[in-house]
Amino acid sequence: MRSLKFLIGAAAAVLLFASHTAKAADPVRFGLCYDLSKAYTFITPQVAQAARDLADLQNMKGGIEGHPVEMVLQDHGNEPQRGIECYERLKRDGVMVFDLLSTPVSRAVLPRAMKDGNIMVQALVGRGDAVDGKVFEWIFPVGPTYWGQAANDIKYIKDQAGGNMKGVKVAFLYIDYAFGQEPIPLLKKLQEIEGFDLKLFPYPLPGNDQASAWSQIRRYKPDWIIHWGFSALHVVASREMKRNGIPMDKFISVNWMNEVDINNIGPDVAKGLKRGTSVVGGSDHPLKQEIKAKLYDQGKGNGDIKLFDDSYYNVGLAIYSTMFEGARLAIKNEGWPLTPAKIKKGLESLSDFDANGFIAPLTVTADDHGGGGKTRIERWDGTKWVAETDWFAAYTDVVWEIVHEHSAEFAKSGK
Amino acid sequence: MFFRQAGIHHTDYRQDLKIFPIPVDRWMIGLLLALAVLAPYYLDTLYLNSYLLPWLIWTSAALGLNLILGWAGQFHFGYAAVMGIGAYTAVHATRNAIPWEIAVILGGLTSTVIGIAFAFTALRVKGLYLALSTLALQFVMDWVITHVPEISGGVQATLQAPDMTLLGNPITTDTGLYYVVLVWCVLVTTFMLNLRRSALGRALVAVREKDFAAAVIGVNAFFYKLLAFAVTSFMGGVTGAILIFCFYHAVTPEQFAVDVSIQALAMVIVGGLGSVIGSYFGAAFVLLLPGTINGLISTLAEAMNIRLGIEVLAHIPNALYGFLIIGFLLFEPLGLAKIYNNFRNYLLVWPFGYARK
Repeated sequence: MRSLKFLIGAAAAVLLFASHTAKAADPVRFGLCYDLSKAYTFITPQVAQAARDLADLQNMKGGIEGHPVEMVLQDHGNEPQRGIECYERLKRDGVMVFDLLSTPVSRAVLPRAMKDGNIMVQALVGRGDAVDGKVFEWIFPVGPTYWGQAANDIKYIKDQAGGNMKGVKVAFLYIDYAFGQEPIPLLKKLQEIEGFDLKLFPYPLPGNDQASAWSQIRRYKPDWIIHWGFSALHVVASREMKRNGIPMDKFISVNWMNEVDINNIGPDVAKGLKRGTSVVGGSDHPLKQEIKAKLYDQGKGNGDIKLFDDSYYNVGLAIYSTMFEGARLAIKNEGWPLTPAKIKKGLESLSDFDANGFIAPLTVTADDHGGGGKTRIERWDGTKWVAETDWFAAYTDVVWEIVHEHSAEFAKSGK
Repeated sequence: MFFRQAGIHHTDYRQDLKIFPIPVDRWMIGLLLALAVLAPYYLDTLYLNSYLLPWLIWTSAALGLNLILGWAGQFHFGYAAVMGIGAYTAVHATRNAIPWEIAVILGGLTSTVIGIAFAFTALRVKGLYLALSTLALQFVMDWVITHVPEISGGVQATLQAPDMTLLGNPITTDTGLYYVVLVWCVLVTTFMLNLRRSALGRALVAVREKDFAAAVIGVNAFFYKLLAFAVTSFMGGVTGAILIFCFYHAVTPEQFAVDVSIQALAMVIVGGLGSVIGSYFGAAFVLLLPGTINGLISTLAEAMNIRLGIEVLAHIPNALYGFLIIGFLLFEPLGLAKIYNNFRNYLLVWPFGYARK
């Protein structure tokens, strides 16, 4: 009996440390260090599933320029130390492209990625000033920054007001934390430029209690409400909106709003709600139909089909279509074997790439690692998302001013 | 046989006060120290800078918390805030061209000052009320850091820490950073080990057991509680600064949020209150075990070819980790150090186990 316990203990100990496996140099590997268990669980399962599905689909078509795609997924529980461990471990396994999908962990890993010269994808999270490609050479936040999204929302409001924003009242509702506070400097600058009336309405962590913010909003009687929240915060906000008798049409959300939130709000109640987004919503697109036909209908999907119709699944497809295209250009133009420098060049040669109409067109250059920051406003009509505008990026000069202000800080303090 | 106590006799007080009277203890400590000093030469850099280095830093943190929680018996739910104060002060100081050593000590002193300020009010109450007062410290620090851009570095809320320098020479290699951390950890460990034979340690134990009885025999309870807060805050501040300079290289508010406070408490409680080796075990348990279990579950799932959903695969390790905490505390409520102590007590008289009563 004792020897059996000893054997089990020994086997467990061996397995505990046997996480290194030999890898061939042939595949193109992406390291997905995601928070699958703590704060970001409202997006990471969908994005991880989308990444794996896209990898499987690409491998069915022969891989990227003949090389199979491999996705290594590891959980870091939104803890910077585990994120750093994930990065360090995968780095030694030959992974060159990392996605952390968590703002605190991205911030923790960024200095190391910059020092080691590995590509870090930081799409839609993390440091907004990382779009400055000259300072953040190895970081690729492909997609809009929060500043860009706020600027585009203001442009939309301006167009709705007929081009003149004098007297328009904009309420900015946000969670009183770095995520929500980020667009404020930009909004204040735009307020000076356009002359509209801006009032800030923060609500405290964790965001379930928005009552005081909303009673102030009711007294303010704004024309538009921009909400910087996510997941359950939208549900609470919509409940408060209904309670205070404010029509849903005035609501513009940040890109973190998906069908789960709409279902929790109630699809009919949410009619008229708008969000800014850089990715097409819904499952009508040929890419999604192809994945459905070739993977899910054959039972080879990487997860639940329920997650397939989610907007965040589309976000995952968008991020990885861009990454695959960058890798493809790198292999085609620079040749195999891949190095981070080649992948960097490949990503920087993306020009007007829109993944067949799936995402806002991205033009990534050595100076602009964000790809232009285009978004569009979509409206929920009760059953699906309807595009209100085309892809656009407004006030780019103001946004870049703020980006350069912050990236200069980073450049000054070293690494 | 191993811990032979025959032949150990003391002829003066100095010998009597030895921390490790039994030779085998001294050999073990020497061996561990040698292993720690030689670690960069035989350990892979992954294990050195992602496992050993954070483990040593968090052990120092847990030892600091152990002083107030285990030795002085006062609750402290705001330890991460104290570390954060030290870290932010040190980073701001180095960004303003103050030498690194002085910046770190400045960080410790700032934590001490703020810790004492809170302690004056917090020590008017005891027990759970004290716990809530220190929790208030944590929340106030959180709020101040996110709302005062001069401290937090603005809306980006990330402050890059400059390279750490010793006597002006920048230390950037893994090995160099590891040795700095090792020196600090050894200092803190030596301090904590010496507590048991110092007047401060005896006073703290007296205050912990019954503070009014301690006051009766002449130990000023309030003064020693305040002193415990001050020393803990200093150690926490310096450890926070070292955590940033040697591990994260950038400071953000999330690194010192309330859940980090709770983690530090878990390290001390699971490890064993008042025990030095318990802090080592507790830090390893809370810091390294979740990631290791994660790796184990993934490897098992791959080896047995079970295709689990992404979310299930992510939540099983957390559940397992929770079960382990409950299991260990049920097995030995006094913590991991007591388990080691039981083992050592058994070996003390082995093979003459019948000799122990």
